[in-house]
Amino acid sequence: MDALIVTQAINVVYAVSTLAVLTLGLAVIFGLLGVLNIAHGEFVMIGAYCAYLTQSWNWPYLVALPLTLALCALLGAAVERIMIRPLYRRPFDTLVATWGLSLLLRKIAEAIFGPGFHSVTIPLPGTVQFLGIEYPIYRVVLIAVSFAVAAVLMIWYGRSRTGSRIRAMVSNPELAQAQGISVRRLAAATFIAGTCLAGLGGVMVAPLVPVQPFMGLDYVLRAFFVLVVGGLGSVPGLLSGAAAIGGVDSAISAASNATDGYFAVLVLAILFLWLKPRGLIARG
Amino acid sequence: MSAPRLAFANVTGGYGSTVIVRDLNGAVAAGEVLCVLGRNGVGKSTLMKLLCGYLPCRSGHVLLDGRPIDGFEPSARRRAGLTYCPQERPVFDDLSVRDNLSLMHAARQLGPLRPYFERFPILERRLGQHAGTLSGGEKKVLSFVRGLAEDQPLVLLDEPSEGVQWENILHMAECIAAKKAAGTAFLVVEQNLAFAERIADRYLVMDQGRAMLEGSRADIDRGRILGHLHV
Repeated sequence: MDALIVTQAINVVYAVSTLAVLTLGLAVIFGLLGVLNIAHGEFVMIGAYCAYLTQSWNWPYLVALPLTLALCALLGAAVERIMIRPLYRRPFDTLVATWGLSLLLRKIAEAIFGPGFHSVTIPLPGTVQFLGIEYPIYRVVLIAVSFAVAAVLMIWYGRSRTGSRIRAMVSNPELAQAQGISVRRLAAATFIAGTCLAGLGGVMVAPLVPVQPFMGLDYVLRAFFVLVVGGLGSVPGLLSGAAAIGGVDSAISAASNATDGYFAVLVLAILFLWLKPRGLIARG
Repeated sequence: MSAPRLAFANVTGGYGSTVIVRDLNGAVAAGEVLCVLGRNGVGKSTLMKLLCGYLPCRSGHVLLDGRPIDGFEPSARRRAGLTYCPQERPVFDDLSVRDNLSLMHAARQLGPLRPYFERFPILERRLGQHAGTLSGGEKKVLSFVRGLAEDQPLVLLDEPSEGVQWENILHMAECIAAKKAAGTAFLVVEQNLAFAERIADRYLVMDQGRAMLEGSRADIDRGRILGHLHV
């Protein structure tokens, strides 16, 4: 096979899997709680800055993970308690509130780290050879970890007791309460899981992108498009959405340029909102 | 004498600023069944929601074993020993029948449900199916079994017989009788007088949000109840 085609194909897989892992957090919070967290991208940014800090302190890269999870969990818990809890079932209000939060987080990042770019060194340099091409190891690891995270989340959601209770809460909150499930606490835990997943995505992509205060903006848009196309509430929906958005974006970008790729994504999202608003795979 | 399992005094409340039920009083002792009767829209389900904590009482108190539970949210009332089977949306449509029955059981064992499966074999046949695919009456049976199998000292059932075939209604009555003999207290909202007559010890008949008749089954004339059940 032509080496260029193989490289492009793996690039598409890479684009799709990173997109999927960057969407997971938004999907959890939007799909399960009905809250469109506009500050999702800023939690990704927090993860990326944690990766940057870890490296600038000369700590092993993996230290960024607990650091990010702790920070995103704390912040997620506070945001849920103060801002989201009074606004559940008021989608427009949560949208405005989290938009404000995103501005605040962006400005805080700018105040601490300055408006400029920071770069994070790839923790696993080098390439691997397969199918007659050379490909960066870190990207291969990223693809594997993305699929692993999505698979673990899907199995856990489908099989575990907490997973069933979350499904119960989403399906019928009154009845979930009648059976002793504290919807208040479970919703808070779900929100925190979503912010932590966003942070995790940030740690994963940090070495491959410029780390800067405005980086979140692009992620929240793309993640939203993925959910629009894929549909809410299931991992297969999320993966198919990521495949559609990531695939179209990288294919058009490769054939033409990045602006056309982004334009194609926008057209695709608008078409879905217009013609198939529940997405490719709708829940239930 | 010990406090009744459930007591409510001067309960008034509704949705937002709209008051639906006014000044209701009642009590259910262990091993007793209180049936709340009345037409559609007289506030029976609202009373249930006030007792379960889904709606705040404008005034009045709810006591569980003599202890006020007014500030408790619904999940805390469940943990305090109150089981509730709602009239609307009685099951988790997106979950399998099995998950509906075992959601809150640590071991997810269906063993304790065996006696119920003998009465309602349809449930065992549908264990793997999503509860959303069941008929309205089958959902009610599933909800009923879930509620009784929780083995709590107090059970609130909101129109358990709605849409259920007569044969299964009789099974429900027998299940209630067995639980009652073991000391469970029931508060049952019903419109089906024939079912209520099989299970009730006492009646509370409502009209337009107020109590019209209350007392033991023997004391209340059937004709007067029917007068409030039919327009």
